Amino acid sequence: MGKKKEMLRELAGRIYDLDVEVYERLGSSLGRVFNQEREQCIKELVKLMDSKSKSHILRSQLALISNMARTIGDTDTRDIIMKKYEGILQEVTILPKSFASEDILDEKMAQLNEWNLEERFSQDNHLVICIGRAYGCGGSEIGFVLADSLKINYYDVEIFNEVLKRMELEQDDVEDRAGFPAFQPAQKLTLKQRLKDINRYHGLPKRDAVFFNQCDLICDMAKREDFVVMGRCADAILTINNIPHISIYITAPFEQRVRRVMKINKKMSEKQVREHIRRLDRKHAKYYGYYTGRGWGHAENYDLCINSASYGIEGSVELIRRMIRRSG
Amino acid sequence: MSLWFCIPFAGLLACIAVLPLLRAEWWERYRPVIVAAWSLLFIIPFAVTYGAGTALESVLECILNDYLTFIVLLFGLFCVAGNITLEGDLAGSPRTNMVLLVIGTLLSSCIGTTGASMLMVRPVIKMNAWREKRSHIMVFFIFLISNLGGCLTPIGDPPLLMGFSRGVPFFWSLRLFPILVFNMVILLFIFYWIDRKAYRKEIAQGRKPAIQKPGMDIHLQGAHNLFFLAMIVASVILSGILSGLPFFQDAEGNVLGISVFKEVRLTYPALIEIFVILAAAFLSYKTTGEEIRRKNHFTWDAIQEVAVLFVGIFITMQPALEILRSMGSSLDITEPFQMFWTTGGLSSFLDNTPTYLVFLTTAGAMGFTEGVATSVGMIPAKMLTAISCGAVFMGANTYIGNAPNMMVKSISDENGICMPSFFGYFFWAVRILLPVFLVDTILFFL
Repeated sequence: MGKKKEMLRELAGRIYDLDVEVYERLGSSLGRVFNQEREQCIKELVKLMDSKSKSHILRSQLALISNMARTIGDTDTRDIIMKKYEGILQEVTILPKSFASEDILDEKMAQLNEWNLEERFSQDNHLVICIGRAYGCGGSEIGFVLADSLKINYYDVEIFNEVLKRMELEQDDVEDRAGFPAFQPAQKLTLKQRLKDINRYHGLPKRDAVFFNQCDLICDMAKREDFVVMGRCADAILTINNIPHISIYITAPFEQRVRRVMKINKKMSEKQVREHIRRLDRKHAKYYGYYTGRGWGHAENYDLCINSASYGIEGSVELIRRMIRRSG
Repeated sequence: MSLWFCIPFAGLLACIAVLPLLRAEWWERYRPVIVAAWSLLFIIPFAVTYGAGTALESVLECILNDYLTFIVLLFGLFCVAGNITLEGDLAGSPRTNMVLLVIGTLLSSCIGTTGASMLMVRPVIKMNAWREKRSHIMVFFIFLISNLGGCLTPIGDPPLLMGFSRGVPFFWSLRLFPILVFNMVILLFIFYWIDRKAYRKEIAQGRKPAIQKPGMDIHLQGAHNLFFLAMIVASVILSGILSGLPFFQDAEGNVLGISVFKEVRLTYPALIEIFVILAAAFLSYKTTGEEIRRKNHFTWDAIQEVAVLFVGIFITMQPALEILRSMGSSLDITEPFQMFWTTGGLSSFLDNTPTYLVFLTTAGAMGFTEGVATSVGMIPAKMLTAISCGAVFMGANTYIGNAPNMMVKSISDENGICMPSFFGYFFWAVRILLPVFLVDTILFFL
């Protein structure tokens, strides 16, 4: 099984490199067939090769590369590249039938082994703990105490501020709300302001531009240091980018959350707090669902889900520390 | 003429539709041979039945009078637009794509559907280069920019230019603006939701554009080519105007030109148009650096493909057009909605210019006393609207319905976009355009 995977990875790498080479030879700026990072593309290609039902997608992707390759002006270069292409095509065509016949019935179940906590981190990886929390459950405190006890950095609103700095964004337009950015309702903008916004956000909606920058920042940080990060879809972002991490979701019964928020924010009435929490939960779930395609707070997306009301802050931190020890 | 003569046309269409699916490489390699074979399958039986002279005359007539100006215009616009590139890291999102589609659609009526398609296709591909699923964007690009957008002026689409040369006032087509806006709103609404779904899925998969730097530096390279683009558009209008001037006509009102064979002649206005377009293309090519073409991934393949396919389509569709011409008045089509669907249905597969002319002439001969005064007779505004919309809109139904459709497909295929097959595209049209056209019928043509 391991040898087969290695072979498929090698072939996938060559397909990716061929696409890059064709693109570079053409000097075009119109786009490539595989336009993501190498590692991610290779992973997707291996999946395609491994699946009987999706092998046609791989063939059509190869055809797209050959479409581009055929337009290379220099005959010698074109011949060399087309030879490489034909070699790859032949290998793809004669991929042992047994590979495809071993189609995995449930890819997610199979990946459980790949992402098994005990084998998840290698020596090169940093310890990244992503904590998603429901408003009012004490998640921020748990995260902070955990980071302190592990002697690693704690990031919450700091990431958000860094993104704002990067994007030269005014703080008035956007604020941080328990792990996700909330934007002020759209105001009437003049044409000049609109054009300025289009230029600043590369034509993207502001919230998307902020999210993409947040993605880059979190991935960069995960390659550099150990840390605890609160919210910001960090768990989903790191999963997609194949960066090992531990994902935790912390919540508490609604009544407990209401009591806690009322204790902190004495100016709000109980009714206001209830409404406030409900609204934030709705927005948070919507934000997380929009950018990750996953359900916020759904247990299957996390390594550990904690009801902080059952364990308290210290108890929750201890629970997480015990789990981290299991990950080696 | 017997219906049997239409078999080569149907055969060629079947090959265009099926062979890329069954034997893609084989089709790519032997495309010219297959096109030539189907063309000969029409020419030889036609020559045997009607005589070699008539066959030669018919083929020359179609190549010199229809195909030559068509392909030269396409070539000119392809060449000039390929020398203009939009640099900058504008990222494609549902909103930006929608804005570009609106700009392109409105631009189509100013510089023609082919001009707008060629000018916009690369920026749209480039903006969306970070995304995986892009074919739906190009499908709506074909719907809106390559077809519907051309309905507002005679510059927009060749059938309307023919209408203009038959006496339809230049600005008359602006009356179609409400219909265009209505169609645009529906199509863009559908597009937005399809694109948004794909966009969200891609974000969830971890795709993201490279936007680390705040602000983008957008600039147009090769901007001087916009002058050559204007030159080409002007030559098309000029050709339409010159044909109607007495100076270019003989005593019987025929347009003067170089006699080639029997009645076949290459008219002077067409020659002027060809000369201006080729000059613009040549100057554009010579005055633009290779670097811009490299960035645009400019190759001759797309135009070659279209040139080969359409020479076969133009030759083999002659019997179908001849039958249509002879039967046009006897089809008993008297209502605007009938005109809309018949003109449109036939324009989906045949050249929309002769189809438009057949039904314009049919409507003109109906003896109406009120409406738009044309050289073929009085045509009620509603009827003319139906014919114009049918011819322009329904070219979007198939890849061969309008020349830019095939060009956009070909350029997209060359740049990493997996475009739908002939049937796949037709299925998009059936699912999206057909219901919209049905609503058009109820609102505007009943």
